[in-house]
Amino acid sequence: MTERKQKDEVGKLTFEQAIQQLKGIVDRIEQGEIPLQDSLEQYEKGMALIKHCRDILQKAEKRIEKISKEERPEPEEEQENSEPLLGG
Amino acid sequence: MQIQTQTRTKIYTVTQVNSLVKDVLEANLPSWLTIKGEITDWKEHQSGHRYFSLKDEESVLPCAMWRSTLAKIKFKPGNGLAVLVTGSIDLYVPQGRYKLIVDEMIPAGMGALQLAFEQMVRKLEAEGLFSEAHKKPLPKYPERIGILTSGSGAAVHDIAVSIHNRWPCTRLYLYPVSVQGPGAAAEIAAAIRDVNRRNDKLKLNVLIVGRGGGSLEDLWAFNEEVLARAIFDSRIPIISAVGHEVDTTVADLVADARASTPTKAGVVAVPDMRDVLGELSGHQRRLTGSIRSQLGLCCEYLQTILASAAFRNPSLSVLNREQHLDDLTWSLDGAMRTMLIETRRQIQDYQDQVAKIEPHRLLGRMMVELNELKSRGLAAVTKVLNNRDLEITARENRLAALNPKSVLNRGYSITMNKQTGQVVRTADDVQLDDSLITELADDNRIESRVTGRASVPARHPESCGDARPTGEQRS
Repeated sequence: MTERKQKDEVGKLTFEQAIQQLKGIVDRIEQGEIPLQDSLEQYEKGMALIKHCRDILQKAEKRIEKISKEERPEPEEEQENSEPLLGG
Repeated sequence: MQIQTQTRTKIYTVTQVNSLVKDVLEANLPSWLTIKGEITDWKEHQSGHRYFSLKDEESVLPCAMWRSTLAKIKFKPGNGLAVLVTGSIDLYVPQGRYKLIVDEMIPAGMGALQLAFEQMVRKLEAEGLFSEAHKKPLPKYPERIGILTSGSGAAVHDIAVSIHNRWPCTRLYLYPVSVQGPGAAAEIAAAIRDVNRRNDKLKLNVLIVGRGGGSLEDLWAFNEEVLARAIFDSRIPIISAVGHEVDTTVADLVADARASTPTKAGVVAVPDMRDVLGELSGHQRRLTGSIRSQLGLCCEYLQTILASAAFRNPSLSVLNREQHLDDLTWSLDGAMRTMLIETRRQIQDYQDQVAKIEPHRLLGRMMVELNELKSRGLAAVTKVLNNRDLEITARENRLAALNPKSVLNRGYSITMNKQTGQVVRTADDVQLDDSLITELADDNRIESRVTGRASVPARHPESCGDARPTGEQRS
């Protein structure tokens, strides 16, 4: 896969998915049973995953939104009536 | 009698008497009485009112508790429960009976709420609502957390701060509910069910239900059955965060996880970012370290190859192979030789084995055996033949004894008419001048002539006494 594609794919992962993949990669490379070429690709991906995880943690907004009670008769359009309450 | 009645008293109606007693009672008794006793004869009427009696060792006091009073009581009264009741004595005029109208009831020896709490815990525990088997696992890195608490209290702030201090990337969603007073439990329960219903869109990973500290009464909503059941039914894992450290509520017991206070919610709900960052750095080090060492190994290997004789002296490889070929040739040669020697040795072995058998001696032995067999055969045959000879002689002797001619040996003779060749038995068998032949033993014969005859009827001529020899002996 191209570097671009890989980056996009990593960018979509949740923190949990990213850290799971990362652990898998570290284990595989440490066992040293994969060829160098594959190792290098996995290494690149691992580094991208680490960066992604750090980004998730550091770009946090510390937001609280408000859920309003569902008003039964109304159509379900504004259910997640987001309204920041607190800032970091 | 009539006079007495008239003079001593006026005449009352029954109702008047009962009303009078009622007035007297009410006037002379304190308006509120607090009474200690044990509940007995507890009756639940369809109207919702409760009728029962209080008793001690000696007496029984009838009591009534109206529906409205019952609704205020958190615990469940019943027979055998020791209680303190407060109320007033009332006389029911139509029946002339008095009873205590209960206005308050608390368990004797234990707070009413405490008792109610224990009763609820027992009930739900028996149903298995607190069982570990029903606890849902919490997500390790929750992205979206719903908070069900008062929108105005400190709890929401405490919870938010405790989460964001540890794990800032979680998005929090406040669902404001009242957490105190009548209807609060039902409202929180409804909110839990509402969020569960809408979670396809809300996508909350975990819910936190709680409030700050307060009296047992303040926290009461979190002990109510309706909320316990909503928590139990939730598909989204729920963390309870109610009151102070020391408080335990039914909600705490039924929730999937429990934070002792709202400020501890973060510790239960999310990982600490510092730990996770440390873990990430660890992963990075391991990753870099592994890749370096793998690269290092590859480089080393490459160096080894470059430094190897093959690269320094390419023809060496050919020479090596030639040498190898020579080695192989020698080996092959040696192997062939060894094989030949071995084969020869084997042939020799076979020869020796054959020699050991010694065919000529074997033949000699066989000849001896054969001769022996032959002579034994001969002997057997001879013996058989001899036996047969003896047998035959015996038979001959016996046969000879039976031979009519053998009587000749004993001196008898047979006389035959030479002309007819017939044996002469009677005189009639011959004529005068007939030649007779007399046969003697050993084929000796005499020829003679009939010179005379005398016939004796019925007499068998036996002797040839009168025959005379006519010829010489013949053999």
